[in-house]
Amino acid sequence: MTAEEWQIVWFTAWVSALSTVMILPFGLALAWALARHDWPGKSIVETLVALPLVMPPVATGLILLHLFGRRGALGSFLHDTLHFDVIFTWKAVLLALSVMSLPLLVRSTRVAFEEVNPRLEQIARTLGASQWRVLCTITIPLAARGIVAGMVLAFARALGEFGATIMIAGNIPGKTSTLSLAIYQNVQLGEDANAFRLLGVSVVLAFAAVWFSEFLLRRKRKPQ
Amino acid sequence: MKNIAQLIVGFSLLLSALCAPAAEINVFAAASLTDSLKVIASNYEKASGDKIVFNFGASSTLARQIEEGAPVDIFFSADEAKMDGLDKKGLIDTSTRKSRLGNSLVVVVPSASKLNVESAGDLTNASVKQIAFADPKAVPAGVYGKGWLTSQKLWATIEPKVVPTENVRAALAAVESGNVEAGVVFKTDAKISKQIKVAYEVPAKDAPKISYPMALVKEPKQPDAAKRFLNYLSSEEAGQGFKRFGFILLE
Amino acid sequence: MSLLLKNISLPLASFTLEASIEAHGRITAIFGPSGAGKTSLLDLIAGLRKAQSAFIKLGDRVLTDTANKICVPTHQRGIGYVSQDLALFPHLSVRQNLLYGAKINGAARPLFSFEHVTKVLEIESLIPRNVTELSGGEKQRVALARALLASPRLLLLDEPLGSLDAALKAKIIPYLTRIRDEFQVPMLCVTHDRFEALTLADEIVVLVSGKILQSGPVLNVFTRPADAEVARFVGIETLHPGRITSVSDGLAMVSIGNALLTALAPSVATREVFVCIRGEDVILQHEIAAASSVRNRLMARVVSFRTEGALVRVELDAGFPLFAFITRPALAELALREGSTITALIKAPAIHLVPR
Repeated sequence: MTAEEWQIVWFTAWVSALSTVMILPFGLALAWALARHDWPGKSIVETLVALPLVMPPVATGLILLHLFGRRGALGSFLHDTLHFDVIFTWKAVLLALSVMSLPLLVRSTRVAFEEVNPRLEQIARTLGASQWRVLCTITIPLAARGIVAGMVLAFARALGEFGATIMIAGNIPGKTSTLSLAIYQNVQLGEDANAFRLLGVSVVLAFAAVWFSEFLLRRKRKPQ
Repeated sequence: MKNIAQLIVGFSLLLSALCAPAAEINVFAAASLTDSLKVIASNYEKASGDKIVFNFGASSTLARQIEEGAPVDIFFSADEAKMDGLDKKGLIDTSTRKSRLGNSLVVVVPSASKLNVESAGDLTNASVKQIAFADPKAVPAGVYGKGWLTSQKLWATIEPKVVPTENVRAALAAVESGNVEAGVVFKTDAKISKQIKVAYEVPAKDAPKISYPMALVKEPKQPDAAKRFLNYLSSEEAGQGFKRFGFILLE
Repeated sequence: MSLLLKNISLPLASFTLEASIEAHGRITAIFGPSGAGKTSLLDLIAGLRKAQSAFIKLGDRVLTDTANKICVPTHQRGIGYVSQDLALFPHLSVRQNLLYGAKINGAARPLFSFEHVTKVLEIESLIPRNVTELSGGEKQRVALARALLASPRLLLLDEPLGSLDAALKAKIIPYLTRIRDEFQVPMLCVTHDRFEALTLADEIVVLVSGKILQSGPVLNVFTRPADAEVARFVGIETLHPGRITSVSDGLAMVSIGNALLTALAPSVATREVFVCIRGEDVILQHEIAAASSVRNRLMARVVSFRTEGALVRVELDAGFPLFAFITRPALAELALREGSTITALIKAPAIHLVPR
């Protein structure tokens, strides 16, 4: 493995980790709102959140490209007012990974929340705990294993993201080149040996992430 | 002389249309040939009754696909290196290989851009943050572009700004979207887009020699029909077609 | 501390709960069959549920007033809740469970100290343990203590004895009365067990199919049901004070009026009791079999009878007022008339003794 290849591995790992951490507060809030409350427009939000899971990733990437490009609704604001460019930078990688792995996080976390007995939350409230306190002291601790499993799944998904990433971040060596993009490029260039090395690393990473998630879920099933 | 040649070609086409059943010819061609080839092929289809099926893309990607056994009759590459690569692997019918077309490189910017590029050195300005290139590692347009900047001793400075794209049309699209300040594409690509303008044309002496070889693959599916189309591509009529789109004829 | 409920309109599975209750007494029981909406009513009082219309006032504080869009959030109501499934937090230790509410209300003078509550409810030895290791009765006491330690102004109890066996019920009842007496926290219990209601409550509200049929001091309701429907639910036709004269081998001799009955000894040692006999548990017979398992055979005189559907309610004087339900064919067969004499047979286990 060359220095560039290690850079790609390192970049992929930290950007995936960062995206998982970034989507966590929003993902938890959304999962909790979906698990515990009914509100007008809920089914629309549920569908929107599920879209990146079922749409072709390049299609999601296309939408992001048009939103965040310099002429796009959000991109023009970012570029003109904040002098902040997203497309073709590492921020685009972060964006692509976040959007694509959010649905997985929300799904797992929502199930984890739904499995917490609502009676426990209600009793906690009668004991004087505000909604926020209940969330922090009762709901999240009881849903913790499911939440962590969801995070690991989101991380694994981020590691393997390709379609949306190549759309909005390109494959700029040293800047936005992730494992998946690098494997693809190496195959294009006929550098199969390099491709297989990178493939090996990504398999090891993904395997470790999923194995850890299964391990956590197994521990969760043991009676508390 | 020209008229007689045209007459012969036209006659043989008519003959083949009358004698042979309609064939489907698969052509893998460089992305920069998209618009021109489509027009030329549709004229040919009307005259001959054969059908041309195109696969446009980066010549590097297409070469890879041919190596992996994709069904194809004709390969039309944007640089000699990709054709050589296939030749070394014995996948090309060398006797049919011909390089007829040339092109020139241009630097394009979004139509509304105020950027001024008067020489290669202007690309090193801070106002140019990102430049789209078809992947300089493999795609011909990018390889030529890199060759140009290397000869100007500017590649090392400019390389950090390069946004590599899948093929030359993707580089064009990147400039059209405004997400990059400039891009290096073929003059023929710039011609077909209304959302960009040419900021600088790379003089022929600064750029590497650009040539587009075409050839029959070793084992085409439709050898006779493919040969006929390949010959047509070398004809006067086809040549005029290419010239209209801005290509340089190398003969 | 009085609890005022007015204009409650709460749609439930098959009926609308409509109620107006004023609860003053120290322990009020909401009594009715399962599915009467009792738990929903508790949820409403605790603020866990919203109603189409409701007015709830505790003491001088309005908690819910839908007409004026007032709804105090649950965590500010100061109403303790012990639910049927106890809902102890499985991820916290017993100590953490107990202190959960206490910690939130902060240093601000808790009503009852940790030591006091754990002593009264006898859970000191349980404190270092894990919630999942506790037995049913222990969990109940911990749940009660947890609610108390949050300094509630009112305590809601959903079927507090519901899931316990008879022996355990008898053990928990003293703790509940201790809470009433020591801590003086008004309690609202929901129950479908008439004996539980009799034992615990000062006041009772009979709630059937979402409607309040009768409310008032518990003895009034049991001895003078407002109508046949209440009577059916209350279901204790004979309710009379008595005194236990002796206890041996788990059996108690009870002196009631001019009669002496054999009944099962109550688990709580007591002298003064209410003797409760359900009308359907009384057998009327002319001849007395030589040997029989029935311990109580009373000579009685028919005072009156009244037909109620397929049954006849017979009022007897057996040395104390005794009521029996028999079928109409049986009445004809026995040829009973006012003034007839008959033997009333009552099995010892059919006599319930409720401490007075």
